[in-house]
Amino acid sequence: MTPDEVLARTVREEWGRLVALLLAQFRRLDLVEDALADAVEAAARTWPRDGVPDRPPAWLMTAARRRVLDRLRAEAMAARKVPVLVVDARSAAAAAAPMADPGDLVEDDRLRLVLMCCHPALAPEVASALALRLVVGVPTPDIARLFLVPEPTMAARLTRGKRKIVTAGIPYAVPDAADLPGRLDSVAQTAYLAFTAGYAPGSGPDLVRTELAGEAVRLVRVTLAQCPDEPVLQALLALLLLQHSRRDARVDDVGRLVLLPDQDRSRWHHDEVAEALSLLTRMSPRATSSHAESYRLQALVAAEHATATTASDTRWDLICGYYDQLVALNPSPAVRLAAAVALAERDGPRAGLAALDDLDAALPHSHRLPAVRGELLARAGEHAAAIEALEVAIARCANDVEREHLTRRRDELRPARE
Amino acid sequence: MKRYVILIAYEPWDWSSATPAVRQGYFDAHDAFQHYVDEHGEHLGSAALGDADTATTVRTGAGGERVVTDGPFAELAEQVGGYYDVELPDLDAAITAARLLPSAYTVEIRPVIRIEGYDPQ
Repeated sequence: MTPDEVLARTVREEWGRLVALLLAQFRRLDLVEDALADAVEAAARTWPRDGVPDRPPAWLMTAARRRVLDRLRAEAMAARKVPVLVVDARSAAAAAAPMADPGDLVEDDRLRLVLMCCHPALAPEVASALALRLVVGVPTPDIARLFLVPEPTMAARLTRGKRKIVTAGIPYAVPDAADLPGRLDSVAQTAYLAFTAGYAPGSGPDLVRTELAGEAVRLVRVTLAQCPDEPVLQALLALLLLQHSRRDARVDDVGRLVLLPDQDRSRWHHDEVAEALSLLTRMSPRATSSHAESYRLQALVAAEHATATTASDTRWDLICGYYDQLVALNPSPAVRLAAAVALAERDGPRAGLAALDDLDAALPHSHRLPAVRGELLARAGEHAAAIEALEVAIARCANDVEREHLTRRRDELRPARE
Repeated sequence: MKRYVILIAYEPWDWSSATPAVRQGYFDAHDAFQHYVDEHGEHLGSAALGDADTATTVRTGAGGERVVTDGPFAELAEQVGGYYDVELPDLDAAITAARLLPSAYTVEIRPVIRIEGYDPQ
């Protein structure tokens, strides 16, 4: 590996650990991230010249720690409130301390970092961005791209989040056992938000965002490594792996959307599917939160798709059963729409259409609802009505890839009308 | 330790018509809150406030003049009805304490900050 590759890999694998370790030592969120970024910059400059150090993470840690100490000393000088001598003594002691090997880090620190970033006192979009930045080390421009906002907007969001943590006193701590499950639910929701951002329709085709969604999978992995028996994290990781495993088959070579039944199943990441299935079978039987149960049921649906050899082998009766449970748990319009699609597969398009009837009021701007209706009408042989519904969907759809797909479908129906 | 002001808001209602049992419920909740604060930090001050319809607002008008009006900052369904000024280890402790207050309240937790360069006499 070249020095650049070693550095990129070290940053990718060790960033959260290093942030956690520096925070444990200095408790200065405002300094830690900048110091680490400076250290990475210095590594990019010096490693190609001086050679890669034996222990790259330890090198970064030492460099970042030195920068934090420099800043603390500068602050003390400026304020002249803390006698310079005291700071010097403190920094001398810190510098003399044995080099902390990030490998020795008590893993608790990483959990503390995750819980701090995903604290319910932070707005969800702020928490998601902070967790990606601080825990998995995603660069700010990439987070901006994932969430479809300009980079300065994302930088400001991260700054606001860090300021809230410091000013409001969000602790760098693991809560009581009684409060931990609720907090891990927040972590799961934060990660799920980041993941779905990568698949959310943007204004144009953007495959990079799908790859970035994978960073949310890493966030769940890091957290699950700390709490290996936590159902909400197991279920969420299974769900994300199953959804993410289809990423390469979702769009064809010319960037057109490929729907699930038409996807080339050999392009799915079957190792990820296998890992998800094993998570689902291993899941702790203990009582789970409604979030955990919702993720689990969604994962079971995704698992049915993932394990069907062909689209026509899909076990729709099982899927409908999972959707019944999901609707009972959370009768949101989006869940009911998905349930209607499954019902149409099991009982025919008329049954699906009937299940769509009362959704219009709840989803007045959705392009998915008329898109589903158009597809079901087409299958029921009502091509004129199908085209009409697809026109509505096309008018509402903001995503180029999806709109092109809907337009193609509408045009296919046209000749059949004559 | 961090210092927080815990603002209490609720929809105005007729306290005078509350039964003794209801009142005792409120008193017990406040006692539980204060007990938690004493155990984990320090209670610096607190007050219950008169209803929002007894408030007087002084604001600066378009021409720079100080205008006095009847009523609170903003006419909302919920009105500030009291506060606690406390020191607690962190936001989680403040949230735990806030949860002990009567469930009819909406509680806002605000960190107290120091203004650089200003030392009150």
